[in-house]
Amino acid sequence: MWSLLTPLLYLAIFTFIFSNAFPDVENYPLYALTGLIFWNFYSNATTTAINSVINSRGVLKSIKVETIALPISEVATSIINLLFSFIPFGILMVLFDASIGFETLLIFIVILLFSLFTLGIGLFVCAFNVYFRDVGLLYTSLTPALFYFTPIAYSTSLVPGQFQLLIKLNPLYHFMDIFRTILYYNEVPSLQSWGIITGITAVFFGAGILVFKKLEKGFISNY
Amino acid sequence: MEETITNREVIIEAKDLSVGFLVTKHGINNFKDFLLTMGIKKLFENKEVLNDLNLKIYKGECFGIMGRNGSGKSTFLRAISGIMKPNKGTLSVNGKVAPMMALGVGLEPELTGLENIKLLGTLMGLTQKEIKDSLNAIIEFSELNDYDINSQVKRYSQGMLARLAFSITVAKDPEILIVDEALTVGDLGFKQKCAKRIEEIRKNGSTIIYVSHHLEDIRSICKRACFIKDGKVLKVGPIEEISDLYELEMAKKKGK
Repeated sequence: MWSLLTPLLYLAIFTFIFSNAFPDVENYPLYALTGLIFWNFYSNATTTAINSVINSRGVLKSIKVETIALPISEVATSIINLLFSFIPFGILMVLFDASIGFETLLIFIVILLFSLFTLGIGLFVCAFNVYFRDVGLLYTSLTPALFYFTPIAYSTSLVPGQFQLLIKLNPLYHFMDIFRTILYYNEVPSLQSWGIITGITAVFFGAGILVFKKLEKGFISNY
Repeated sequence: MEETITNREVIIEAKDLSVGFLVTKHGINNFKDFLLTMGIKKLFENKEVLNDLNLKIYKGECFGIMGRNGSGKSTFLRAISGIMKPNKGTLSVNGKVAPMMALGVGLEPELTGLENIKLLGTLMGLTQKEIKDSLNAIIEFSELNDYDINSQVKRYSQGMLARLAFSITVAKDPEILIVDEALTVGDLGFKQKCAKRIEEIRKNGSTIIYVSHHLEDIRSICKRACFIKDGKVLKVGPIEEISDLYELEMAKKKGK
């Protein structure tokens, strides 16, 4: 319930401050909202997943539990929250003149890929966080930087040409792009966009699982 | 005596078992230090807690494990539970293990007693149906009243926590029950009740592994025991011999 408050506050702030700063973004509130919803999911899911193993170390020391289930369940909880948040956010989007069509349903496929990508990051940082407790803190400190590095409040067209490539190195950029293609521009994403996010998901999800499974053996020594 | 024991079915067998922990080699335990000392290749090294441990535990017995703090008792129990993997040697466990953990572990402070029964029961590997069926028995055994069972566990006393945790663990006869220093906080009445229930579980064919520093407790519950020292089994035998050895070892330490 309260988790809806953060994106709404950001939305209000961005709309008041930035809608005049970025006049070439048409319907700015909708533009910001379509990014914020998914950023909120990403940030909640990774933060809770990263601390899940550490927070349950008492249990993990005494009962045999499949450790990987803990970060997975945290991401699953965030997915459920995201789906429920579509009800108020959907109403808000309609108020902002969003149009809904058949292509809107494609969003669920992107959410599936985005969740696996998020889980991959969560598993990766979570595993290192068991060994070095400051990794989680480091991640939390870097999260705001990632937020502004991702085009959520601003549009990529405002970024000077020489930095365009840099922006595209950020995997979150490609997800935000495809979310907006569907929800903001009401278009069916190109095959190339689908290919890029599928590739990103495969790499991050695969790396997350592999690293977690590899480091898991030493968890017990570091609780 | 020995003859009858060897005829029985072995439920847990450790052969040259070595289990170890990773320890930091250079005291690096945060990422900042790790970055500052990039030159170091090997961060962790293995420290064996159990060294070539050999032990047989038979089905249906109540086996005591004694030893000083840090001798490797808990590590051995974790190896039996499958939480820690052997580095060398083999450990065969032929049954499902129910761990009786240190006080209140696995109980969620913000949830009520009732919700915790469901949570911990699930963690222990009980199915939803089994939990539902044994719910009343658990509450009855814990002797917690209606008001207490519906209040948050964070408001419980130490003794109440122990009662609840024990009641959940013994709800269903486990094949192997591990009791690790868990019953020391309960009052006398509850302790006796626990001892009775443990004996009942044993009679139903389960194996019990009991770890305690309380000589009286362990003498009243176990028939056979072992003494672990520096990750090795120093001696296995009847409980009287082992508890005498335990007292001797403690005296030796004092004498030094």
